[in-house]
Amino acid sequence: MHALIIAWHTLLAFFPPDLSPSYLRYVWLPVTQTVGMASAGMVVALCLGIPLAIYVGTRAPGWQGIVGMLSALRAIPDLTLAILAVVVVGLGPAAGMAALAVFYTAMVGKVFAELFLAAPQAPLESLRATGAPRLAVALFGLIPLTLADLLTFGSYSFECAMRASVIVGAVGGGGIGTELVGAVNGLDYPRATTLIVILALLVTSVDTLGWFMRKHPRIALVLFPMGVATMLLNPPQVFVLRHALATFAGMFPPLLSTKALAALPALLWETLEIAVGGTALALLLAIPLALGAARNVVHTAITAVVRRVLDVSRAVPEIVWGLILVVMAGIGPLAGALALGIHSAGVLGKLFAEAFENVDTAPVRALEATGAGRLPIVAFGIFPLAIGPIAVHTMFRLEWNVRAATVVGMIGAGGIGEALYNAQQHMHYQQMMAYIAATWLLVILADVAGERVRRRLGWNYVAT
Amino acid sequence: MLSVVDLTVRYTNQAAPALQGICLNVAGGERVAVVGPSGGGKTTLFRAVNGSVPVQGGYVALEGERVGEARGVELRALRRRIAVIAQMHDLVDRLDVYQNVMAGALGRWSSLHALRFLLRPSGAELVEARTALERVGIPEKLRSRTSDLSGGQRQRVAIARALVQRPAVLLADEPVASLDPARSEQILALLCDLARERGLALICSLHQPELALRYFDRIVGLRHGRMVFDRPVAKIEPEHLVFAS
Ligand SMILES: Nc1ncnc2c1ncn2[C@@H]1O[C@H](COP(=O)(O)OP(=O)(O)OP(=O)(O)O)[C@@H](O)[C@H]1O
Ligand SMILES: [Mg+2]
Repeated sequence: MHALIIAWHTLLAFFPPDLSPSYLRYVWLPVTQTVGMASAGMVVALCLGIPLAIYVGTRAPGWQGIVGMLSALRAIPDLTLAILAVVVVGLGPAAGMAALAVFYTAMVGKVFAELFLAAPQAPLESLRATGAPRLAVALFGLIPLTLADLLTFGSYSFECAMRASVIVGAVGGGGIGTELVGAVNGLDYPRATTLIVILALLVTSVDTLGWFMRKHPRIALVLFPMGVATMLLNPPQVFVLRHALATFAGMFPPLLSTKALAALPALLWETLEIAVGGTALALLLAIPLALGAARNVVHTAITAVVRRVLDVSRAVPEIVWGLILVVMAGIGPLAGALALGIHSAGVLGKLFAEAFENVDTAPVRALEATGAGRLPIVAFGIFPLAIGPIAVHTMFRLEWNVRAATVVGMIGAGGIGEALYNAQQHMHYQQMMAYIAATWLLVILADVAGERVRRRLGWNYVAT
Repeated sequence: MLSVVDLTVRYTNQAAPALQGICLNVAGGERVAVVGPSGGGKTTLFRAVNGSVPVQGGYVALEGERVGEARGVELRALRRRIAVIAQMHDLVDRLDVYQNVMAGALGRWSSLHALRFLLRPSGAELVEARTALERVGIPEKLRSRTSDLSGGQRQRVAIARALVQRPAVLLADEPVASLDPARSEQILALLCDLARERGLALICSLHQPELALRYFDRIVGLRHGRMVFDRPVAKIEPEHLVFAS
């Protein structure tokens, strides 16, 4: 009871947001940095990821190796990359950009490669039969054949990059993320609220931009000037490349003391607990929310409101929810699981609502014809029909949350993430590298296990 | 011009070979029809000639150069001289017609040239595409979306692509499979005219024996991957034609 009262008072301290002109003028720079970092990350990702994907998609010699490399790279959580980048290129947007560039190159490369590999083969064989070189086959065949999916995924990943751009800021990668951590640590909660509102606005406007981008792909070209300008304005702070390389080399070999090694299994276990707890909470929240957001279940006046709630919980990344919850619920795994739960509820709620809306109409009509009320129709018709997609989405979310659990750990939610962050703060880089390796293995294991389960159950679905 | 010598092809997951001991010689300007029941190996033969499937025995040679042994740039140079009109005329739907037509030139263009063409085709390239489309009778479709074409029009676009490729050998896999009788005759007449005009070796698979008799110099029968006969039209007996349908 007492704890709840404290939590309530802390929550009140976040309101009203600080909207004073001087503060708004001050946050302008971090906002442009965040947008610029996301653009720069995407520019690099597109410039490197697309050629790699084409190489794989045309099944050029050694393409399987590249797929393996991209999958391995993608298993390193973005925040872990950011921590690494901060150590190597120094605090600030340069580090954020470097982390985003690596993460999204892997993501764009992998997913585009999968789309290319799944393209219809007959037209491609026809093109190869003219004696066309690989690149020409890609230009005249692979890309036009998969364009719709490329655009959908491309704009979706820009939305993710915008969120990630805030995330990497949280460990000193610059932009709003860095400001947000500063505001929370400085107990300046009204300013934190301002920043979160700005973040939610940014993410939703990128969402809208993505919608336009799918209609008019040329809009994506605006990324280039924004990204390049940010790169030029924020060069890496290390002027001596040798220093950066030496710092990086100093992280090898990864090393843990016997005491730290003995504690490792418990840390990994705690991370898994955060992931499972967060996913379970998300599932509990998402099902009622999704029913409230499904237009074939309740009136559109209600769905409109519920959808806004889902938008906000989804727009704010796990780590930002974590920052607030650590203040309210105290440091520890509970805050981490809650943070994962709230964000994932937004994601799953939207996906489940779509699943409810897409159910086969014939069986539902048949139920309606019996004169059944709304609730029995949901219970006996819509819900059982949508259970397949619900299970698939939840599985994917659980996999994703293993990644996210290492990330929220870094802001004090416990587990391996916290240990990793502490090692970096104390400049124990060999130890840090050991934790990075452990995180990486954990994520790969989760991905592989998820893949196995899905294949066993015969669930086919394109992973993003 | 084209010689196929003792060719054997076996797909990895199949017990029986798809082609076995095939021998065939086709001269420039000669028109050969390949007939036989479904699954006989016609498509496989065309793919092997073009180097699209690995061969397990024998070889295919174009003017003395072996297709199977060529790799990389050499293979591409050989393929450029063997145009294929695929069974389902596999065009890329999302491209415009002139782009699909000019894809025939990809074998002689650099990748950079291909990119430049997609962004901004030159006047000369558009003229070439239009000339090819005129030859197949649909110049007005130059800038249409390929997905908007009818089956017969798609077939013509595939032939126009083959023209742009300027090949020595033209392989057409069931070019009249999905067309009405009048259209079928037009397409076959077109292919034969082209072979005569340009001295191409034309090999064409068909399911209609009467068309094979009327338009071709020679007929080859394939069944269960083996060549059952190879005769000039004058020496074709009725039983050969029963076999073909
Ligand atoms: N990609 C493949 N993998 C395995 N087997 C194949 C493949 N393509 C064809 N085959 C097999 O090879 C044999 C010959 O097939 P092919 O396509 O050459 O016949 P076809 O004469 O062209 O038939 P149709 O008249 O129906 O087009 C068939 O038994 C077929 O099942
Ligand atoms: Mg066939």
